[in-house]
Amino acid sequence: MKKLLKNNAVQALIASLICIVLGLLIGYIVLLFINPVGAGGAILAVVKNFWNYSRAALQIKNFGNTLVKTAPLLMCALSVLFAYKVGLFNIGAAGQYVIGTCASLYAALAWGWGWLPCLLLAILAGGLYGALVGLLKAFCNVNEVISGIMLNWIGLYATNMLLANVKESTSPYTLHLKSAAPQAMLPGGGMDKLLGDNANVTIAVPLSILIAVLILILLDKTRLGYELKATGNNKNAAKYAGMAERQNIILTLVIAGALAALGGAFLYLTDFEQWSVTQSSVPGMGFNGIAAAFLGGLNPIGTIFASYFIQHITVGGAYVDKTMYSSQISDLISAIIVYLCGFVLFIKYAINQGLVKTEEKKKNRDNAKGGEK
Amino acid sequence: MDSPYAIEMLHITKRFPGIIANDDITLQLKKGEIHALLGENGAGKSTLMSVLFGLYQAEEGVIKKDGKEVQIKDPNDANDLGIGMVHQHFKLVECFSVLDNIILGVEPNKAGFLQKKEAREKVLALSEKYGLAVDPDAIVENITVGMQQRTEILKMLYRDNEILIFDEPTAVLTPQEIDELMQIMKNLAKEGKSILFISHKLAEIMAVADRCTVLRKGKYIGTVETKDTTVEQLSAMMVGRNVNFHVEKKPCTPGDVILEVENMTVASKVHKNDAVKNVSFKVRGGEIVCIAGIDGNGQTELVYGLSGLEPLKSGKLTLCGKDMTHASIRKRSTSGMSHIPEDRHKHGLVLDYSLEYNMILQRYFEESFTGRVGFLKRHSIRDYADKLIDQYDVRSGQGAITTARSMSGGNQQKAIIAREIDKDPDLLIAVQPTRGLDVGAIEYIHKQLVAQRDAGKAVLLVSLELDEVMDVPDRILVMYEGEIVGELDPRTTTQEELGLYMAGAKRDEVKA
Amino acid sequence: MKKILALVLALCMVFALAACGQSAAPAANTASHKVAMITDYGDITDQSFNQTTYEACKAFCEGKGVDFTYFKPASDSDEDRVSMIEKAIDEGYNVIVMPGYAFAPAIAATAPKYADVTFIALDVSEFDLTSAGLETLPANLFSAVYQEELCGYMAGYAAVKLGYTKLGFLGGMAVPAVVRYGYGFVQGADAAAAEIGADVTVKYAYGNQFYGDADITAAMDTWYADGTEVVFACGGGIFTSAGEAAAKVGAKVIGVDVDQAATIDGLYGEGMTVTSAMKGLAATVNTELTAVLEGKFEGGKVANLGLVSNVPEENYVQLAGSTQFGEGFTAEDYAALVADMFSGKITVSNDTEISAADNAKTITVVDLGNIK
Repeated sequence: MKKLLKNNAVQALIASLICIVLGLLIGYIVLLFINPVGAGGAILAVVKNFWNYSRAALQIKNFGNTLVKTAPLLMCALSVLFAYKVGLFNIGAAGQYVIGTCASLYAALAWGWGWLPCLLLAILAGGLYGALVGLLKAFCNVNEVISGIMLNWIGLYATNMLLANVKESTSPYTLHLKSAAPQAMLPGGGMDKLLGDNANVTIAVPLSILIAVLILILLDKTRLGYELKATGNNKNAAKYAGMAERQNIILTLVIAGALAALGGAFLYLTDFEQWSVTQSSVPGMGFNGIAAAFLGGLNPIGTIFASYFIQHITVGGAYVDKTMYSSQISDLISAIIVYLCGFVLFIKYAINQGLVKTEEKKKNRDNAKGGEK
Repeated sequence: MDSPYAIEMLHITKRFPGIIANDDITLQLKKGEIHALLGENGAGKSTLMSVLFGLYQAEEGVIKKDGKEVQIKDPNDANDLGIGMVHQHFKLVECFSVLDNIILGVEPNKAGFLQKKEAREKVLALSEKYGLAVDPDAIVENITVGMQQRTEILKMLYRDNEILIFDEPTAVLTPQEIDELMQIMKNLAKEGKSILFISHKLAEIMAVADRCTVLRKGKYIGTVETKDTTVEQLSAMMVGRNVNFHVEKKPCTPGDVILEVENMTVASKVHKNDAVKNVSFKVRGGEIVCIAGIDGNGQTELVYGLSGLEPLKSGKLTLCGKDMTHASIRKRSTSGMSHIPEDRHKHGLVLDYSLEYNMILQRYFEESFTGRVGFLKRHSIRDYADKLIDQYDVRSGQGAITTARSMSGGNQQKAIIAREIDKDPDLLIAVQPTRGLDVGAIEYIHKQLVAQRDAGKAVLLVSLELDEVMDVPDRILVMYEGEIVGELDPRTTTQEELGLYMAGAKRDEVKA
Repeated sequence: MKKILALVLALCMVFALAACGQSAAPAANTASHKVAMITDYGDITDQSFNQTTYEACKAFCEGKGVDFTYFKPASDSDEDRVSMIEKAIDEGYNVIVMPGYAFAPAIAATAPKYADVTFIALDVSEFDLTSAGLETLPANLFSAVYQEELCGYMAGYAAVKLGYTKLGFLGGMAVPAVVRYGYGFVQGADAAAAEIGADVTVKYAYGNQFYGDADITAAMDTWYADGTEVVFACGGGIFTSAGEAAAKVGAKVIGVDVDQAATIDGLYGEGMTVTSAMKGLAATVNTELTAVLEGKFEGGKVANLGLVSNVPEENYVQLAGSTQFGEGFTAEDYAALVADMFSGKITVSNDTEISAADNAKTITVVDLGNIK
C-alpha cells in the first residue's frame, strides 16, 4: 500500500481525485450559503451533465456534445503541457486557439478549402503565432507570459476583423459551415454514428487522443524530447551541454502553438458553434487548458481524462436549476471546480509530506517497542 | 540557576526521509568562548544550525538558553533569544548602504520616519569597540568581500545578539582577510559574546577556537579542547580514518600545447568593466595548470569564455591547433574539451533527470544513444550508465534510474566527473571540482585529475582552496581583477606568497 | 418564535389558496402547461431583450399559477441552445419562449421534431428561419417580428418636435430590425422638420456591435462636440457609449426596445433620456401565453406586429411612458400621431434596401457607415 502511494503516477491520480472532490465540496458549501435547499441537487446536476436527460437518445447525443468540446480543450491542454515540460508557461494557448479558428474558418468560408487543408493551415498559423512568442523570448528575452497575453488580444481582434468578411450579413456570426462550406466540415469517421447520429462528433475526438499519445512518445522516447525536457528542467545545463537553447524555445512554442490552433479548428470545423465577430473576450478554452494540463498531472494521457472531466463539469453547470440559482452561480460552481483542479501539484506535495510523517511515527513506534523488549 | 552555558542543544535528533540527519547530538556553547563545529559535508552541521534557528523542529532533544529550556519555532524566536548568524552567502541588499543594511528590519523610527542618526552613532560605536572597520555610507556592491562580512557581523551586534554563529566564514576571504577575521572573533569573545564557528578547515579551528565539537554522518563524535589536540587527531575524528593530505604524483612531463589562449577578453554580466582582461596562457598535454585567485576575480568568466557559455569580446582560442574562437559549445565539446562546471546544480546536472540521462548529457546525440529517426536507445543508455556507475563508484539509491536530485553532492560530482572524463577529452577543465565535498571525495577527485594528467591530457584546474592550489597542479596562474598577475611553481612558492598575489599586493608581468 | 413563523406561513398559504380559488374561476387549463424560457447569449439581467422577456413570462406565469423556469445554454452556440431546449422538453416543459434572432437554427433543429411542444420566438424572422433550413413553418411555432420603423418614426418625429435639430442615430449592427428603427427615425424627423420648417441634420452610423466600448464612445464624443443634441442609441448595450459621451456635455439620448429611461438616467444623469422607442415584447409574451392557456394558440406563422389600436398603450410599437413631453410635442400630440399612423394617414416605409439618406426629403442625413 505504502509502496503504491509512493508511485508518482498513483500519487498524481490520487491528487487529481482529491482536487475534484475538494472542488465539488467547496462548490457545495458555496451553494449552501446561497440557497441551502437546492445545493445537493445543483451539485448533482453539474456532475450528471448529460445524465440529466431522461431519454437515452438525448443522453448519448449530449455526451457527444461534451466530447465535441473535449477535443479542442485537450489540444489546448496538450499545448500548455508541452510548453510547461520545456519550462515555458504558454498562456498564449488561448490566442493560438483563436488564430487556429481564424485560419481554418477563413480558408473554409472565403476560399472554399476542404477540411484537411484547413486543418493544415490552422497548424501552420498556430505554429507561426507560437513562434512569435518564441522569437520574442529567445532574442529579446521577453517573458512568454507577457507576450502571450498580449498576443491573445491581438489574435482575438485580428480574428474578429478577418472573420467579419465571412459573417452572416444580419448577425455577428460567421456563416454556417453546413450551408456555406460543407466541404470543410470534419468527417464523422463513424464517431457520429456511434453517438446517436450527432453529426458534430467527428474524427477530431480520436485525432486529439492520438495526438496526446504522440506527444507522450515525443517527450519520453525521442532525442528531441530529451533535449526539450532538459531545457525545461535546467536551461543552464542544457546550454552547457551544447543544446541550442533559443532554437529549442522557438521550436517548443511552434509546436505548442500548432497544438492549440488545431484545437480551434477541431471545434469550428463542425457545425457546433459559429464564431461571433463581436466577442470582446478571449475564449476560455486556452485558459481551461491550463487547468486540464495540471489536473492531468502534466501527463498527456492523464490530460485526456482531465480535459473530459473539465468539459463535463463546464457543460454540466448549465443544468443547474435556474429557479434556485442564477446562471452566474452555475458558472461560478463550474469555475470553482476547474480552479481547484490547478491545485494538483500542491496536493501531491501534501501527500508526500503526509507519507513522511506517518513513516516517522511508525519508526518511532518501532523504536519504542524495540526499547521495551 | 546560573548556567555556564549560553546555549545548549541536548540530545537533538532530526530525521529526514531515508536518513537521520542528526542522531542524538549534544552541543554546549559556553559564555564567551569560541566553539568550533567541525564535520564533513553532510555530517549534519547545517541541519543542527537549522534546528537552532527554528527552521526545522527536532523530533527529540531540548534546547536550553542560560540553563532554561526554550522553544524555537521559527527564526523570529531565535532572534528574540539573541542568536545571530553570518551566512556563508551574505544576505545583504547590494544597492543599499552599509548602514541601511545593518538597520534593515529593525529600523529605528518615529511615526514611520527613519531616525538614522541614532543608528549611525550606535553602528560607529560598535565598529570602534570591536575593531570592525566599515564605512557606513558606502554602497554594499562597491565594497570588498571582507567589509561585506564585517557588515554582516555588525548586523548581529546591532541587534544585541549574544550568540554569534559564523557559517564557513573564511571560504571567500584572502589569507590576510582571514587573519583579520580571526582577530575580530577573538575580540568579540573577549567582550563576552559566545561564538559558534562552523568550518571544515582544521588550521583555522586550531588557530581560533577554544573547543571543538565534531560530527560525522549525523552522529556526535565528541568535543575536545583545541589546546589538547592536533590537526591529525581532529581530522581522524572528522573522517573516521587517517587521510592523506598530500597528493601523490609523478614528476610532470609536458607534451604538446593543447589549449592556447591569446589576448582573451570577456565582458562581465554584472558590471561595465571586463571580467577577463587580455589574458594569454597555454596548457600542455600532461600537465595540470591551476588558475588560483579569490572568488570573483574573473575565473568564472574565463571558463565561460573557454567553454563557449559566454562569447569572447576579443582574443583567440585554439584547441589542439584548431581555432575555436567562435565555435559553438557543442563543437568545442566534440573537439575534445570536457568541462566540470563550477556549479553542478546550475550547469552540471539536470536535477530532475535520472542518473542515466545525466550520464549522456554530453553525448545523447551520438549514434550509440540516438537512433536514426530520433528515438533514444534505452538499452544502450542503461548499459552505458551502469558501466560508468560501476567504474567510477557512483553511489545512489536506485542505480541508473535514481533522480539526480536525490543523490548526495559527492556522488553528483562523481557522476559529472565520470561523464566528462569518459568522453576521453584532450583538455579537461575542472572548476572547483571539490567544492563542498568531504575529504574522502576530495582525495578521489584529485587522483582522477592526476590520472588524466598522467595519461597525457591537459588539465586546467580552477580552484579557490589554498590547499588544493598548492597540492594538485604543476603550475599556478594567479588571477586578480581579470588579469593573470603571476605564474608560480607550487614546489617553490609558499601560501603567504600566493596570498599576496591573490590579494593584488604583488604582481609580475607574466607571459605564460 | 418558530411557532409564530409557522403560523404566519400557514395563514399566508390559506390566503393564497383562497385568492387562487377566486381567480381560477374562469377555469383556464393551467395544469398541463409548463413554460420555459431559454436565454440567448445574454443573461436575464441584460436590461434588454432577455430581461424583458424573462420578467414578462415570470409575471404572467406567477399570475396564472403556471410552472415557469428559464435555462441558459452553456455557451453561445446553436448546439448548446438545442441542448437546453431539449433539456427543457425533457423536464416536461411544453411551452418554450425564446428571445432573439440567434435562435433560428436551434428552432429549425427542434420545432419540427417536438410537435407537441409550443415554441414562441421573438424577433426571429421568416428569413432567419428559412436560411436556417426550415422550409415550412411548423404548426407549433409562433414567431413575432416588429414594425420597428413605426416606433422609430415616432421617436424621430418627437425629437424634432421637441426642438432638437441636430440628431444622431447610433445603430448596433445593420441587422434588419436595427435598420428599420433607423430608417423610421429618419422619416419621422424628416416629417416633423417639414411641418415646422426646421433645419435638421441627422448623423447616421452603426457601431457594428451590440455593446459600447471606448472607440464608439470616442466617436460619440466627436458627435456631441460637433453640436449633436440627441442620439438614438439603437442596439443592445450600445447605449453606454452614447450615455457616457452625452453625460460629459449634458446632451440627450433616446432609448430602444424597452423603456430605458430608468437605466440610462440612473447611470448617466437624471433627465438624459428624451424617450424610448419600444417594441412590445412583454405584450407579445402575454398575448401568446394567454392564447396557449386558453387553447387558442395559432402557430405556423411569423407575425409582423405593429399598430393594432389608436390608443398608444395598446400597440406593439410605441414610445415609452417616460417620454419628456413638452410644448412642441405633448401627450395629446403623441396620441394624435398614433391615431394618424393607425388610420393610415401617415405611412412609414419599411424598405431596408435603400440608403439612409433616401428616407429624407427636407433634412440632411450624414451617412457615416460603420464606426468600427
